[in-house]
Amino acid sequence: MKILLIEDDTQTSDYVANGMRERGHVVDHAANGRDGLFRATGGGFDIMIIDRMLPAVDGLTIVKTMRGAGIKTPVLLLTTLGGINDRVEGLEAGADDYLTKPFAFAELLARVNALSRRPPIVDESTVLRAGDLELNRLKRTVTRGGKRIELQPQEFRLLEYLMHNAGQVVTRTMLLENVWEFHFDPRTSVVETHISRLRAKVDRDFDEELIHTVRGSGYSLGITG
Amino acid sequence: MASPVSFLRTTSFRFLAWYAAIFGISVVMLFATVYWITLAALDRQRSESVQRELQVLSDLYSERDVDSVMRAIQLRVIDLRPPRRYYLLQDASGTRIAGNLPPMKPVEGDVELPVSALFPDRVGKSEDPLDAYPVAALGLRLENGGFLLVGENQYRTIKAREAIIRAFSWGILITVLLAAGGGMVLGVGFLRRIEEINRTTRSIMEGDLSQRVPARGGGTEMDQLALNLNAMLDRIQMLMESVKRVSDDIAHDLRTPLSRLRHQLESAQSKAAPGEDAVIEQSIAELDSILATFSALLRIAQIETGARKAAFSCVDLAQIVKSVADAYVPVAEDRDQKLEVMIGRPSSIHGDRELLTQLVANLIENPIHHCPAGVKITVGLRRDADVTVFYVADTGPGIPASERDKVFRRFYRLEASRTTPGNGLGLSIVKAIADLHGASVELSDNQPGLKVAIRFPATAERGAAKK
Repeated sequence: MKILLIEDDTQTSDYVANGMRERGHVVDHAANGRDGLFRATGGGFDIMIIDRMLPAVDGLTIVKTMRGAGIKTPVLLLTTLGGINDRVEGLEAGADDYLTKPFAFAELLARVNALSRRPPIVDESTVLRAGDLELNRLKRTVTRGGKRIELQPQEFRLLEYLMHNAGQVVTRTMLLENVWEFHFDPRTSVVETHISRLRAKVDRDFDEELIHTVRGSGYSLGITG
Repeated sequence: MASPVSFLRTTSFRFLAWYAAIFGISVVMLFATVYWITLAALDRQRSESVQRELQVLSDLYSERDVDSVMRAIQLRVIDLRPPRRYYLLQDASGTRIAGNLPPMKPVEGDVELPVSALFPDRVGKSEDPLDAYPVAALGLRLENGGFLLVGENQYRTIKAREAIIRAFSWGILITVLLAAGGGMVLGVGFLRRIEEINRTTRSIMEGDLSQRVPARGGGTEMDQLALNLNAMLDRIQMLMESVKRVSDDIAHDLRTPLSRLRHQLESAQSKAAPGEDAVIEQSIAELDSILATFSALLRIAQIETGARKAAFSCVDLAQIVKSVADAYVPVAEDRDQKLEVMIGRPSSIHGDRELLTQLVANLIENPIHHCPAGVKITVGLRRDADVTVFYVADTGPGIPASERDKVFRRFYRLEASRTTPGNGLGLSIVKAIADLHGASVELSDNQPGLKVAIRFPATAERGAAKK
């Protein structure tokens, strides 16, 4: 995967670039906004990671200009700590996701992976499948091996998100934001509790486990190995 | 505008009432003085003129004889213009010789003759207005046993008295009206200025620190007050901005090193030997908790600036409460707590969905976090007239009344909860979000337990919509 990283802080850019290269990705780094904008509009990247606060041209302007030029490459915006309006402004400018600094590398990786495999046109297929697990979005039903599984609405949404990102790691924060619309860190184990309920219904009576815990990162759904 | 009752309570009204009272007393005293002096002068004038006339006639008697007096009187009573004179000359037997009065018993000196005594036949019938007034007279016994009396109608004195009373009555009436009217005008003007100051301070308390008290110029005390208030506000605003700048600077300056620290710990973790792994993971967790506190503080600060109001839209609070409560029902169940949700009809308010979600989540998490197993937690939404009330009630240990105000302070933690994890900012965030929405936060005794109610006023929604 070819990644464009626009970040002025060398520490952060080294950390991100090294991490991504270790995982076999190609990283192109721009240290200021003007250079970044030039490379971004040049095209040819699978994904862009752009810091919001940049010298010369700021991140929001880069995203707006790029989108104005018709470049649809997925963009992950890095925002400052506690910037309460940053997320909304970033998404309005045309970014696809945002991440607040400082972040865990696993979180960044999970989001980059989720973004890069997101089809250009939103996948709205009616039936999602993972092994013998089937989720029908229209009928709002779930079956495994032909056997009907009854889910609460929030469990259904959780499973739908996991299946939509099947094979990928989804972090706790991604689940909080996308399933519950919680843009803050709850003090109680909301995610863990719902995952364990979902597991009890989806995995307990079957031989193969579909919902996996990825240590230090989050969860993933799919058939192992 | 101010109600009559509030007007009566104003300082300006009291001042004017005293002023009017003192002014009124002076006017009455002036009136009394003028009254007495004028009437005394008129009385003296009349009695002197009567005395002079009597002297003339008695001189005539002593120098000539009774007949001359009689003729003199007969001449005088032919033509009598107001103020009319009255004469009487009697002989020793009491028979009238001359004059325009009926015979009477001789009396020496001053006599006041009422109309009824003078002309009993004319009372109430006479066309002559002068007949309605009594006569003041002076009597004199003559050497021959006769009696001479000269009198004058009191018409002039009485008319003068009436005129003075009438004039002063009008004067006092006009004085009182002017004082009251002027007082009202001044008082209302004064009240309006006070109301302007109150309105400004209210909007400042609601978070708009850019408001200033309007000054009219002219250097009155009210203008001085307005200018001083504005100067004070400028200073406060400057201080607040510098405090904000300091906290922003701290946030900015600490963010980068903390990020680096986290990155370094992470890289160390990936290279660490199995034994060291746990220590690094613990350090990362500690660091994340510092960052969470930091992030919560910045979030509160940013909510308090009110910038978020610009993005307010119409949201269904019932739907938010339902969805957040549903997320926590299994969490409570896992802790052997019962979470009950009572929501009526949809309830739209003007607000920020993301922040309202956090408010509801924080308030539901509190009892789950702090109460022991077995408690019942009730989450509800109801509409009281125009007010939308969101409440969370538990049957847990509750909070003593004396501590209830303190829980909104940043980092404040009850003695009982010091051992549980948390940063003591949850209710501060709730308060900040409620304030942003013009809502009040009330803590009360649930008997047993704690009840927290957030009241979203209907008027504040509209007020917020305008901004």
